[in-house]
Amino acid sequence: MIELDKVSKVYTTKTIETTALNDISLNVAKGEFLSIMGPSGCGKSTLLNIMGLLDAPSNGQVKIDGQNISNYLGKPMAKFRNEKLGFIFQSFHLIADLSVIDNVEVPLLYRKISGKERKEMASRALDAVGLSNRKKHFPSQLSGGQKQRVAIARAIVGEPKIILADEPTGNLDSVMGDEVLDILKYLNEKEDTTIVMVTHDERMASKTDRLIRLYDGSQVA
Amino acid sequence: MIKHIFKLIWNKKSKNALMILEIALSFFVLFAGLTYMLFNIEKLNEPMGFETDDKWMIDLDNLHDLDSSQIIKVIDNLERSLLEKEEIENVSFTQYMAPFSGSSSSSQSEEMGFNMWSLFVSCDVGLSDALEMEIKNGRWFEKSDLDAGIEPVVVNSKFIDEYFSGKPMVDSLIQFHRDYKIIGVVEAYKYQGQFEENHPTLFRLKPKYECKDYVILDMKEDTGLNFEEELSSIVSSNINKEGSTILQLSKRRFETGRDKWLLLGSMIFICGFLCLNVALGLFGVLWFNIHKRKSEIGLRQALGAHTSDISKQFISEVLILTLIALGIGVFFAIQIPILKITEFESRFFYKATWIACLAILGLVFICALFPSMQAAKITPANSLQED
Repeated sequence: MIELDKVSKVYTTKTIETTALNDISLNVAKGEFLSIMGPSGCGKSTLLNIMGLLDAPSNGQVKIDGQNISNYLGKPMAKFRNEKLGFIFQSFHLIADLSVIDNVEVPLLYRKISGKERKEMASRALDAVGLSNRKKHFPSQLSGGQKQRVAIARAIVGEPKIILADEPTGNLDSVMGDEVLDILKYLNEKEDTTIVMVTHDERMASKTDRLIRLYDGSQVA
Repeated sequence: MIKHIFKLIWNKKSKNALMILEIALSFFVLFAGLTYMLFNIEKLNEPMGFETDDKWMIDLDNLHDLDSSQIIKVIDNLERSLLEKEEIENVSFTQYMAPFSGSSSSSQSEEMGFNMWSLFVSCDVGLSDALEMEIKNGRWFEKSDLDAGIEPVVVNSKFIDEYFSGKPMVDSLIQFHRDYKIIGVVEAYKYQGQFEENHPTLFRLKPKYECKDYVILDMKEDTGLNFEEELSSIVSSNINKEGSTILQLSKRRFETGRDKWLLLGSMIFICGFLCLNVALGLFGVLWFNIHKRKSEIGLRQALGAHTSDISKQFISEVLILTLIALGIGVFFAIQIPILKITEFESRFFYKATWIACLAILGLVFICALFPSMQAAKITPANSLQED
């Protein structure tokens, strides 16, 4: 589903070059739940950003669902992200001025879908994460776990084939973290969604299908 | 998407209220300034109805002490002496409603079945030539008109437009306290200045001895100001008194318009300064908003928004806010012509409303464009990481 071939990422400033990723080759199979671990600054998030077309590799090739996306730019790239990928972030990134259902609808705004259909799809996604009773609430009225569930609903509302989660349980206590992971496991097992999750938590990583470790930009396990 | 933007605006209504207020107030100031400017520009573009270049005027204030036989003698002698000078081409005697004199005489009547109001100017046959007045229809007075059975009068085009619109009035009789026969129509007679209104005006022919307030002189082109001294001595020797005032009409025209020009200039400056301030204010607010919403911009891009979607969203947000502000502004602004609060004609207000709306929309669009383009350049990887 996701193929990385000798992917490198080098950040260059006027005075210094920093290698964030060094020749990473990786295959993530369809329906696999992969976790990525490593110390802070080892390149986990950079790797996830490259898989999610949020950043471009300096070298190497990235294929997603059989398509070489290394050279994707502009509208095709935006369309690809919108239709194929779902993102979950550690700090939720909910829009404070929008209600829960409006937050979940955001990815659908960039598709040609009627308002009524958007509402129905967002309601279904909120049902799936058990938040159908919080549709009209605003993010400030929710707990951390609820916020992350809204973020998951937003990630799955467009029915993407891949979910990329950057430390989705990082800001949550263990009970809420387990709840979030259970939802991800459910999506992976029942909906056959491919999930790549960056985590610092060995316990969370142990619940996934496969774990890779990064150290100083290189894959060590 | 528009509905989504409306929701964003509504949910941030308290934050947006100040911006709406600022734009609405700017609209008001611009609207008021533009109305005043449009009104005066129209006045400026309307013909005065007479020339002022190389036209001089002598104030005969000192003649009022003389009896009628002395006045006849003085005026005849003065006219002869003036016409002897090669610098002077035409001479006209007029009563107090001379150009830029500040005096006025008006009357109203309902004898024709409707209310007529008009200025009354008493002058001799030479006024039209001396001031190079434009005759639109008919003719100006001749000496023989002094003996006509029904008193002939000349009116201005405003008089016809106001009371007899579309009718050929030359050779028609009118009742205005007495019977008059209209023999000609002049373009205008804005005797108070170029910014003044062209009021309905009726010219009555009088013998020059009755027109003893001012002498209007049509001078040869480029007559130097040193002739003023010679002219002064001619007047003094004829009326046996010193101190008659000699005026250049072009100078008087400039002096009477100076205050309006200053006011117009101030208005343009204030409106320009306001626009600049609004532009800088909006630019700053938008820049600040975009900086504050960096993670939202990154998030939207991660969720499938193209850079053009981001630009469009930010421009749309500002334009919708502007339209709301203009809606409020226009609602209050149009009350002025509807309730007829001022003497300005309604069309000036409506025109000013359109221009002010377009100017503010254009200004806001320009101010929103650059920050919105900067917003579109924000990369999701960086902005999502920063938060």
